[in-house]
Amino acid sequence: MAVHKRGYQRYEGPRTGLWTRLMVLPRYAWEGLMQQRQIIAIFIAALFWPLACLSFIYLSNHRELLIGMPNEFTAMLDIDGGFFVNFMNVQAAFAVFLATFAGPSLIAPDLANGALSLYFSRPLSRPLYVLSRMLVLAGVLSPVTWVPGVVLFAVQSSLAGWSWTVENWTLGVGVFFGLVLWMAFVALVAMTSSAYVRWRVVSGGLVLGFFFVLTGATELTSAILGTTWPAAFNPTYASNQIWHWMLGIDALEGPNALQCFLTMMALSAFLLYVLDRKLRPIEVIS
Amino acid sequence: MTPVIELQDLSVKLGRREILKEISCRLGVSGSGKAIGLLGPNGAGKSTLILTLLGFHKATGGSARILGYDCRSQSREAKTRVGYMPENDAFIAGMTAVRFLRVMGELSGLPERAALEKAHEVLFHVGLGEARYRTLGTYSLGMKQMAKLAQAVIHGPELVILDEPTNGLDQAARARMLKLVREMKEQHGMNIILCSHLLRDVEEVCDEVVILKEGRIVHHADLEEERRANRRFVELEVAGDDNGLAAALREQGAEGVTEGNGRWRIVLPPDVDLDVIWRVTAGESLDVHHLTHRRDTLEEIFLKAVGHIQGTPGDEAEPAEEAAADGRS
Repeated sequence: MAVHKRGYQRYEGPRTGLWTRLMVLPRYAWEGLMQQRQIIAIFIAALFWPLACLSFIYLSNHRELLIGMPNEFTAMLDIDGGFFVNFMNVQAAFAVFLATFAGPSLIAPDLANGALSLYFSRPLSRPLYVLSRMLVLAGVLSPVTWVPGVVLFAVQSSLAGWSWTVENWTLGVGVFFGLVLWMAFVALVAMTSSAYVRWRVVSGGLVLGFFFVLTGATELTSAILGTTWPAAFNPTYASNQIWHWMLGIDALEGPNALQCFLTMMALSAFLLYVLDRKLRPIEVIS
Repeated sequence: MTPVIELQDLSVKLGRREILKEISCRLGVSGSGKAIGLLGPNGAGKSTLILTLLGFHKATGGSARILGYDCRSQSREAKTRVGYMPENDAFIAGMTAVRFLRVMGELSGLPERAALEKAHEVLFHVGLGEARYRTLGTYSLGMKQMAKLAQAVIHGPELVILDEPTNGLDQAARARMLKLVREMKEQHGMNIILCSHLLRDVEEVCDEVVILKEGRIVHHADLEEERRANRRFVELEVAGDDNGLAAALREQGAEGVTEGNGRWRIVLPPDVDLDVIWRVTAGESLDVHHLTHRRDTLEEIFLKAVGHIQGTPGDEAEPAEEAAADGRS
């Protein structure tokens, strides 16, 4: 019978579990994001560098194809920690650009339209709401960060053989965890800016600004004070230092990996605090 | 029998201000399909109470239970059984009504297919069937109210909390909204909590009413019982010496109280006829300038409860919190 002829009946059937409910917001958000041209464009652009890296790996494992090439060029094709750090740096930048476009549409519209009261009056708590929004960004950022990173490592392992994999397994772990850490941090920045500023354009600008302004400010402070410790507050430097440690290559000059990690945790705690203050279903003016 | 709402010394502070002050009551019976009206002047704590029940505000003392579930420690169980229609605009930007309801249904625990089916069904039910593929941003205020009602009932909750559901509606839309609310309780057995400043809405729909004032429950009335009592209230205005009128009325089985300047409020028991008034005033040599009689209205109950008018004689002097706490529901 057609729905409109049947009339309303109370739903009495089975209910879905927590994890199914948790994935509801990400599913609908991904559908929306995949209809945005900018997101698709950045997505495609972000795949070029992994493809280039893939061809480097292929050439590196087929040196016979490089006969006659200058030694400097063949040396560049050594697959080591430096190679993966270069890959991570480029993909990290794409992750920031993607978050700039994808992030503002996550929380700002919910706040502007009072949707939080509808969510939180259902069996969806604030931490679960934050987690579901994080999953949206994780779904968008993963294909340009840790997924191609792990694919590159897997391809190199299969081409270079078991002995290379045993010797360099830490590279795979470092690439995976290093990019997951970066992805989580970028997602947190994007979500906080989306919760803080309800105007989407400004919110997107704030994501970019967070990274560029912090980089500029820390370099300026370092120059004025004649010290290197402010660099720990530069997320780009801090994550690079952590990656260098994870991939077992020479550390950068300045604060060490532990100091950088602690600074990033402190920044994350601050962002979570701001998020917690803003994500209220109702505003209380005391 | 599990009460719909059970409050035990519930206190809520917002900032430094105590909004709800140790209120205790048991309202409604789960599964009975009754509506409870929540009334009170501005700032009485109605919305704070609703938001505390939904877990949006933390209680600073005491406890609150919905359908037997603690609002803090068992909030997930409670929220699965509750539908909430907020007072303010609340929707997801850029979505069609049917998609919006699907999301809300799925978030409430409906499987995908059931959510889609229910979304269509409930939109037809509230009269938005033809507009279900339009984005919510293009809806009129009345349509948005209906969409909010639809999202509150899509998952078939046991309790529906409606915060000012007729706000901004014209007469026809208001009547339709109230009809839907009545159907929800009478045909679908849902319990309703209706928070409204419009006494007529509460009177038309509710079976019980709770009146809040300055963070406390000042009255809890069973409207069905009030309607059944069928007591008649007379407003009388006389000229002359009316000092003996109260005693004369008492002799006839009626009770009256003067409001000064010859104005009286009189309660007639069901077995006492209105003619008694004419006989008594004639016996006291009073000129009757004005006489109206009517049943007790919610407005009168409300005004008495918040202290704007003097209590009508014959009303039981029953402490509100006691009346509420004894589960007279």
